[in-house]
Amino acid sequence: MGYFRQVAVVAFKDLRAELRTKEAINASLAFSIVILLLFSFAFDPSEDTMREISGGLLWIVFAFAGTLTLNRSFARELPNDCLDALIAAPLPASALFLGKCLANYALVLAVELVSLPVFGIFYNVRWARQFPELLLVLLLGTWALTVIGTIFSALTVNIKLREVMLPMLTYPILIPALMSAMQLTTALVGGTAINSDTIDSLKMLIGFDIVFTAVSLALVETVLVG
Amino acid sequence: MRDALFSFFGSGALVAMAAAVVALVASVVFLRTRNFLYDALALASTEAGFVLLAAALAAGVLWSHTAAGVWWAWDTRLTSALVCGLVYAAYLMLRRAIEEPTERATSAAVVSVFAFLDAPLASIAIAWWRAHRTLPPEGGPPPGWGALASGNALAMLVLGAALTVILLRREERRRAQDARRRAALTL
Repeated sequence: MGYFRQVAVVAFKDLRAELRTKEAINASLAFSIVILLLFSFAFDPSEDTMREISGGLLWIVFAFAGTLTLNRSFARELPNDCLDALIAAPLPASALFLGKCLANYALVLAVELVSLPVFGIFYNVRWARQFPELLLVLLLGTWALTVIGTIFSALTVNIKLREVMLPMLTYPILIPALMSAMQLTTALVGGTAINSDTIDSLKMLIGFDIVFTAVSLALVETVLVG
Repeated sequence: MRDALFSFFGSGALVAMAAAVVALVASVVFLRTRNFLYDALALASTEAGFVLLAAALAAGVLWSHTAAGVWWAWDTRLTSALVCGLVYAAYLMLRRAIEEPTERATSAAVVSVFAFLDAPLASIAIAWWRAHRTLPPEGGPPPGWGALASGNALAMLVLGAALTVILLRREERRRAQDARRRAALTL
């Protein structure tokens, strides 16, 4: 089997398992809608306020809801010692990692694409005015979230406190990416295209993705095998 | 007073950076050699750097109060230091959560690499974000600052090195004790 075939097999296995049980995606979706609702009590959702904080609000929702999915990614393999079987299977650890990453990516993106219109309805925001650029930011930001979340999900899978440790580890590391994504999203939801003010944030997001994808691929063997 | 506080913050943060470099090198060497001495060194220098960074942040908060009248003004350098502190706090918490020594050392070394790569990215992101919120002294340092800062940094460096040695000894003692306990349990 070629490398990409191996990646695809792992990714589709994870997606199939998730779509049969729907345990993570349902929780994640319900959670994101609850947070969106709660935020509307925290402040007066007027048009001016929304223009200032939409990016921050959305990415906090995405980061919280994403963690629920990412927590399950490797923990799902613990019953029946599936994780040991996966590690022993004749495929490189990086293929296993990439496969899981892609499956998580699809799930987190799906939750985000459902939450966005809900956000638009609850807060009365016309969020799709710069849709292609917003989609680009969403794709890049979610990849940062997924790649960091998946590698730390693998790292914390054997810890008793893993549900607590995963957000403790991922959120501080994600600060540069989340910060850039928030700024870009605020501008784009407000209807401003990416310009010289926000291009730096886009560069940061791309740089973050490249650096941490490379490091994760280099270190995943150590994380999984020891 | 203000400059003294700033130089205390600056030199503390600089030595914490040096400690992060030591921790990174020790972690990478541990991953290559699996010699637990380097794991202990990575832990000791991270802890020492963390203590110095906490002290530096305390000085930074006082400095912010004297310079801008508010305890926390989201100054670029202070915010970067805080974010780096949070990242390394996660490292220290992870170590406490894992019981098994080999697994703890490996996981911690991986997190140390991630933390080290994240720190500059976070600092750049914060500098781009809050470029307009840099408190004085910005740009050029005030006259006579160089001697003060280098003296401070030197003292901090010695303090950091001493702390690292003490913490390294403690970690090795703890490890030896743990090994004896495990041996006793197997008997």
